Amino acid sequence: MQPEVDRLKQRLEEVVGKSHVSDRPAAAAFAVDGVSPALVVHPASQEEVSSVVTVCAEIGAAIIPWGGGTAMGMGNRPARADAAVVLDRLNRIVDFDAANLNVTVEAGMRLADLQVELAKQREFLPLDPPAEGKATVGGILAANGSGPCRLLYGTARDWVLGMRVALPNGERIRCGGKVIKNVSGYDMNKLFIGSLGTLGIITEATFKLLPLPAVRGSIAGVFAEPGQAAGVVAKVLDSVLLPEAMELLGADAVALLGPALGLDATGYGLAVTFAGSRETVERQVRDFTGLFREAKTRATAILSEERTALAWKTLRNVFDLLPGPPLDRITCRIAVLISRTADMLTAAEALGRRHKLRAAVTAHAGSGVIQACYLLGPEAPPVEVLAGALEELRRESEKAEGSLVLQAAPAALKAHLDAWGKPGGAFDVMRRLKAEFDPRGLCNPGRFLGGI
Amino acid sequence: MVSRALGAELRQIVGKENVLDSGVDLQLYKYDAYLEERRPDVVAFVHSTEEVAGVVKVCNKFGVPFVPRGGGTNLSGGTIPFKGGVVLEMIRMNRILEVDRANLRARVQPGMFNLEFGNALAPLGYQYLPDPASQKAATLGGNVAENSGGPHCFKYGVTTNHVLGLTVVLPDGEVAKIGGKAPDAPGYDLLGVFVGSEGTLGICTEVIARIVHLPEGVKTMLAIYDSIEEGSETVSAIVAAGMVPATLEMMDQLVIKAVEESIHCGFPLDCATVLIIEVDGLKDDMEQQVKAISDLCRAHGAREVRVAKDDAERAALWAGRRGAFGAVARITPSYLVCDGTVPRTALPKVLRKVAEVGKKYKLQIPNVFHAGDGNLHPLILFDWRDAEQKARVMKAGMEILELCVEMGGTISGEHGVGLEKIDAMRLVHGNAEIRSQLLVKKAFDPRNLANPGKMFPMPEEVRHAA
Repeated sequence: MQPEVDRLKQRLEEVVGKSHVSDRPAAAAFAVDGVSPALVVHPASQEEVSSVVTVCAEIGAAIIPWGGGTAMGMGNRPARADAAVVLDRLNRIVDFDAANLNVTVEAGMRLADLQVELAKQREFLPLDPPAEGKATVGGILAANGSGPCRLLYGTARDWVLGMRVALPNGERIRCGGKVIKNVSGYDMNKLFIGSLGTLGIITEATFKLLPLPAVRGSIAGVFAEPGQAAGVVAKVLDSVLLPEAMELLGADAVALLGPALGLDATGYGLAVTFAGSRETVERQVRDFTGLFREAKTRATAILSEERTALAWKTLRNVFDLLPGPPLDRITCRIAVLISRTADMLTAAEALGRRHKLRAAVTAHAGSGVIQACYLLGPEAPPVEVLAGALEELRRESEKAEGSLVLQAAPAALKAHLDAWGKPGGAFDVMRRLKAEFDPRGLCNPGRFLGGI
Repeated sequence: MVSRALGAELRQIVGKENVLDSGVDLQLYKYDAYLEERRPDVVAFVHSTEEVAGVVKVCNKFGVPFVPRGGGTNLSGGTIPFKGGVVLEMIRMNRILEVDRANLRARVQPGMFNLEFGNALAPLGYQYLPDPASQKAATLGGNVAENSGGPHCFKYGVTTNHVLGLTVVLPDGEVAKIGGKAPDAPGYDLLGVFVGSEGTLGICTEVIARIVHLPEGVKTMLAIYDSIEEGSETVSAIVAAGMVPATLEMMDQLVIKAVEESIHCGFPLDCATVLIIEVDGLKDDMEQQVKAISDLCRAHGAREVRVAKDDAERAALWAGRRGAFGAVARITPSYLVCDGTVPRTALPKVLRKVAEVGKKYKLQIPNVFHAGDGNLHPLILFDWRDAEQKARVMKAGMEILELCVEMGGTISGEHGVGLEKIDAMRLVHGNAEIRSQLLVKKAFDPRNLANPGKMFPMPEEVRHAA
């Protein structure tokens, strides 16, 4: 295969310049589940991305699009990898139209950097996935990253107005536009959000924005039983209150987050944040204080605006507080009926206890999303056993009309457990879509649902 | 001959009383709220997912196209069976199957009217947010097909943001569930592509909708202006001040007159424009918001700001807005509704240009617009019996869309492409964009039986439409 790689390298160097293509060993840093690409290429512009993809298509090279690298653990082990296409040089704001509450940005820009620029005009993009300092806009869209604030604001699909994409044949297309209502043809943005780079490379995105709220505030409480916290959540969902996020915290997560939230008690946690005017934030803090008291909270902390920002940043990234290298852990995301969130949180915790794994489990209560992280220490059971346990948890989530998706896991475990689970409705259509867009299977082959 | 055999098979599936194929009956299914007409070969009333699947399978067997029909309110010709074939009348699938409060979801059939659904949820304290102005007669299935908006979408988004799952009959007759009550289903977001696909990717037979609690407080205001510019500048000022009202709706003098004559909701006849502003949410800061907005309105030239004192006054304001199209229909034999969208700040400019287009083609063009989201609905008045006038109307409509695109907007905000805007698709999409959308069509509907001849400028369709 070496001559092919040489030819690919030469052709890519013609596109991006010699200094922006590297081969092994540098490329090893871009391995996905142990599959290392032969080359790493850093295009400087959207045009160059498209040319890079064209070259790869001509040579038949498989590509792995790469943003901040924070979601590379997602999906199954790649079937092949020839070139990692890294978008770190596409990190500019193309157009910030503050008066019309939208921004157009290159896909390689990091979310935190974007938010800093938006805040200068008192606006923000209401997406809050973890690792905002590293994760890029394009990567967040490809992985459909979300965070606690999806309760009030929804997810990427609710905020993308437009995109530019380099299709697997190198052709560039524009999807959507800059206006907030647009039914001029199919809503192609949706096709690429969450497609994990299997239908092309997102090179630019236009987002709808919101004005920054005048005030933010938060409250957190600890309860003896998860049911008490879940009871508060259920009451709030059946009320006029509009919290920005409600995060349910497992016992281990409470231990990790205690200092950030100002809580000194053990048990299950509920952290809630509010955004709006002073009047509405204060009123909601008041109402929640009452609800917490009624639910017999063991401890309650009301956080100032300054502490709120820091506490929620820590909370979003709670798994970073776990010790040990990120390779020795399993992270999974369970999405179920809203009303089953607390049950699944405790089921995920129980899995850890049963197998003597240190774990942290949190949930976006009110959205039905649970995230669990298990540390694989030296005493961890064999991967077959863990895969079986996770499969059982997946069945539980399926009973709650949902799914369990691996966010990251050792390759050895992935050999025993599909990252996505069994494909559901209309999978034939998904397969045909992949075949139409990427007939030779060159974009992130093998990583997506059902072997796509 | 095919239609007789087709009719016979359809009768087997839906029952003989549920198939229409006489000439007179078919006449009633050849039009919607757009200007083109085409008779279907057969109409089948369907009552269940199984029946829809059965009908679609028969269509596959005979190789005939099919088009689902809800309220028939479509403004771009989406419901017209352009290539003939079978129309599936969905209107009898009109039940709410479940209101799942604990999960904030409702399962509802596609033939239910949007307003009926809202009326059923309200006593429980809940609402479904997308509220197209035609909600009295537009069905949820039609809303899904068109990705309908409505006056509240500046704050709350459109149908795609509130539909979380669908049961669909795919173009080959297979039944699939896409999305669901739980979020983030693995795989491609087929749901997101399906919503707004205008019946070209299949037929939805069940909708899982997000329901949300009714807001604690709602305040509706009417600001009255002597110049349309001042009205639109107010809208920008409100947004710039960091406020997100639920609604920012405007209408111009001609529409106001028509509305007053038909509905009598108290709009002054001598003003240039009225701006309807609604804020909702928690009560605690509602008075402050109303005051801040009223001050901004006055600072930008409003001669009067009224705040609805009670539900009756609020309902009157909304009757005026929602009744606008109907009121205009009283003063003209026909009208073409344009549906361009521009970035909000370009509204004053585009409105001036629309007036110029009216002068150029000697046509009256009253305006209704969702000012908050930059979606304008110029209504070009004419008489359909006058072919020369109709030709001018079509040209004027296209020119208005071109203006919108020039200003960074698009050709349809919420009415869809249908037949009307097939040519206009070229204004916003190049060949690569159109090709990529056709790949989606092919993946869903390789035989091109689902509402063919719509949306995409393929050579033969362009010829037919001309």
